[in-house]
Parts: sequence; structure tokens; C-alpha cells
Amino acid sequence: MSNSVKTAGAIKKLLKFDKGIGACLPEAYKKFYVEWQVTEPTAVHYIPEDGKYKWDEIGQKVIPVQNIPIPVKFPKEHHQQLWAGEGVVQGFQKRDELSRRVPHFWIPVLKRSVVYSEVLDKYMSVVVTNRAINMIHAHYGFDHYLLKTPACDLKSLLAVGLKRMILQELSNGCPAHANNPIKQKEILDRYTQYLSAYTAEEIEWYGYSFNEACKKMNEILTEKNKPVPLKHLYRAKLIEKLKAAQIEATDRKIESSSSSSWIQSINPFGKKHEA
Amino acid sequence: MWKSCAKGLSVVPEKLCLLQENIQNISRQQIRTTFILKRRTPPLLHKKGGPPKRLKNKHYVYDLVQDTNTLRQPNIDVILTEYVDGLGSKGERVSVKPYFAYNQLLLPCLAVYATPENIKNCDVIVSLFQTINIFSNKTISVVMNKEMPWTLQPWHVKASFRKCGYHVPEDTITMPTNIIQGPNMEFENKEFFVMVTVSIKIKYLEPNS
Repeated sequence: MSNSVKTAGAIKKLLKFDKGIGACLPEAYKKFYVEWQVTEPTAVHYIPEDGKYKWDEIGQKVIPVQNIPIPVKFPKEHHQQLWAGEGVVQGFQKRDELSRRVPHFWIPVLKRSVVYSEVLDKYMSVVVTNRAINMIHAHYGFDHYLLKTPACDLKSLLAVGLKRMILQELSNGCPAHANNPIKQKEILDRYTQYLSAYTAEEIEWYGYSFNEACKKMNEILTEKNKPVPLKHLYRAKLIEKLKAAQIEATDRKIESSSSSSWIQSINPFGKKHEA
Repeated sequence: MWKSCAKGLSVVPEKLCLLQENIQNISRQQIRTTFILKRRTPPLLHKKGGPPKRLKNKHYVYDLVQDTNTLRQPNIDVILTEYVDGLGSKGERVSVKPYFAYNQLLLPCLAVYATPENIKNCDVIVSLFQTINIFSNKTISVVMNKEMPWTLQPWHVKASFRKCGYHVPEDTITMPTNIIQGPNMEFENKEFFVMVTVSIKIKYLEPNS
């Protein structure tokens, strides 16, 4: 796809960053969103042609190579699974020359398997595709696969969320292996190279869907601009007033004790009268 | 249905070459275990730098190039971190089927991937074992003077090793506790043990830890 098309898509999709709570989202999240949704993912369901131009045998002329990707659909369930860029392809099959085309869905083959994250020191039972397992083998481990692959190829929220957790764990110095300092150091040596690509804020905002990010931003904003109950305000005012009044009263008392009033002379139980 | 499958399979060898070409581009990581499709009618060319043309229904008619789920997966190399019955001992590099490797070896931490670093450590171990095997069976002769008095020193042993073709540093040789002095014709054709330290770094024996 040409560059202008990509940017056109970006403009169209980034409109939601201009209004409402979306406008409050930080640049760090916008960067992740572009990496996740706008960047062109690796071709999985088709073989892209190499080169810029090719010779057209039929037209007997040179024509440009334009790879138009096959549209892929992602059901919402894939966000809890690891499909590694695979998706559902909706299209038609022409099963015979003389028969009418028939609609067909090419659906990835899913199976339940276990993945092990070395950094988190956790085994996880997840639904995966064969491609996901093969990618793990090709990258020599689940952590390397997540950390090396951009978000546009990981696609599912589970994968990008796990990537965020791993990055956070690494930036915190790997507390999961606190009881084994030798292994902790080894893991840090092996994986800290990946941290250089992200700032602390980018790690914090990595791997959220737009709605989740908005929710998080909302929480941050409400925490920041927490309304103070009026009763607290009034109480504070009242206490101040009372304090001021007390000071006044004590002042007055001192004054009154210094100059004896005429009521005291009348009082039959007053000390002065007794005397 | 079956006709179409047969059609798809007949195309495979040509397309495989295409696949291999793509695999060479490492940055794109073309690992496919999925349906690879091709449009029966390629869409029309769009203007340079412009948006692609709207796809029509005929552009959604796909032919199956390959279903990689049905392909035989190539073996993967792993290095064992523990003795595995029927496979090999610690530090050995074995090539096994990916499903078995993942579920039976890699997940229970009985093996690690054969990464360049792990292979390096693995080679060190193999060469270590070879040297240990050679030295443990070796008997060398130490030829001493018959007339001048001498006391056996590590450098005598070093020289004898050198005569046999082994270059052993002097500080790795540990002599026996009793002092051997000569000339004494009774010592002729007698044997004594010498320890040669091959590596003090025993932790190298464990490739992963």
C-alpha cells in the first residue's frame, strides 16, 4: 500500500483522538495506537509480489506492482486468544468452471495449548494457532516473540497486554524471580535490550484498546480533579469561625475580669459580696 | 469440493519456490501455518500514490494456494538440560519434531532452544568431554636421566605430554603427593597418576543456568 493511503487511513481513524476524552489521551498512547491499528501488518494470507515493476505478458508492457492485501476479519473472541496475525477471510470459492461461486469463510485452526513466559515465570493456558507456536519457535521463546513483534502483527489485546506486563516487569527489575538472584540477573541481561525502544510513559500506556485507554484516562482525571464535599468546606469554615469566636471570647473575658462589672456587685453569691 | 482441492494441490510446487524466496526476507518473517489465498481476478491498477480502487465481488473470489496446516512441520533443534530417556544426556543437541519438543521438552524445562549462545556453550561442553575422555585413557612415558640425580617436577610431565603431541600448561598439572626421586632403576616401567585440570568452570556444564 502506498504511503498516502496509509496516512489517509490514519487521519480517518485518528479523528476520535480529536474529540471528547480521546483528546486528553497522551502521545504515548497515540504512538501505540498507530503501531497497532494503522501500521500495515505482515502478509499472512497472501504472498506479496516483490519488486516495483513487472513485465505484463498479455499487454506486452511494464506495469507497476501493487499489492492490495486480502481483507481479513477479526472476531471479538480473538482478543482473548493468540492468533499471531491470522484472521477470518470471507470470500467466494469457484469450485468448478461451470458452477456459480459459493461464499466461503477461511477460518484459522485453533487449539488449546500452554505458553510459558520466562520473565513473568508463568505458564498460561491459551487458545493458539499453529502459526503462533511456530513464531514462538522461530523467535526462541514466547517473551522474545512478544517483545520483537510489533503490535500490528500481535493484533489481539491479550498479546499486547502480556507485552505490557512483561515490559513493566522488566523495567521494575523482574520481581517475579526475587528469590533466585542469579536467574533474575540472567533474565535481565537477556531482555533489557528491548526496553530501550520505550519510555516509562509508553510502557504504561501500551496495549490498551481505545475504550480501555479512555477508561483509564477518565480514572486518572477523576482522581486528579476529585470534588471536595461541601460539608468538608463548611466544617473547615465553621471551625475557623469558632476558633475566631473563642479567641474573641477569651479576649472579652480577660477584659471583663480586669474591670468588675455592676452585675458582680449585685450577685449575692459572688465572692466579693461574701467578703 | 474434491476437484477444487486437487486443483489447489497441483499448484503447490510452483508456489513453494515463491514461498522460499519470501522466507529469505527475514524482517517480514514469513512463517505460514494458515490458508494462503490468491485472487482469481487481480484488482485494477490504481493511480500512483492514490487510494486503491474499490473491490468488486469478483475480487473476493479466492483460490487456495496452500494450506500450511496440512504440511509436515520441519524438526527443530533443542539442547537438553537434563538426561532424557531415549533421547540423550545433558548438554546434547538433538533434532526432534516440533510438537514433541514443545510439549515434552521445552515446556517442562528439560531442554532449551538451540540459539547461537546456547550452541556455543554446548560446543564447549562437547569438546570438554572429548578432552577428558582422551586424557583419562592415556598412558605416557616419562624418560629420566640414568646418571644425574633428579626429582620429578611438573615440567618433566609437561615435556613428556609435548612429546606425545599434547600441549598441557604447567599449572594445570597436579603431581602425586609422594616425591619421586632418582636415578632409581626400580622405578623403570612403573606407573603413577597425574591429574590434569581441563576446566575449573564446572558451571559451563549447564548450558542454561
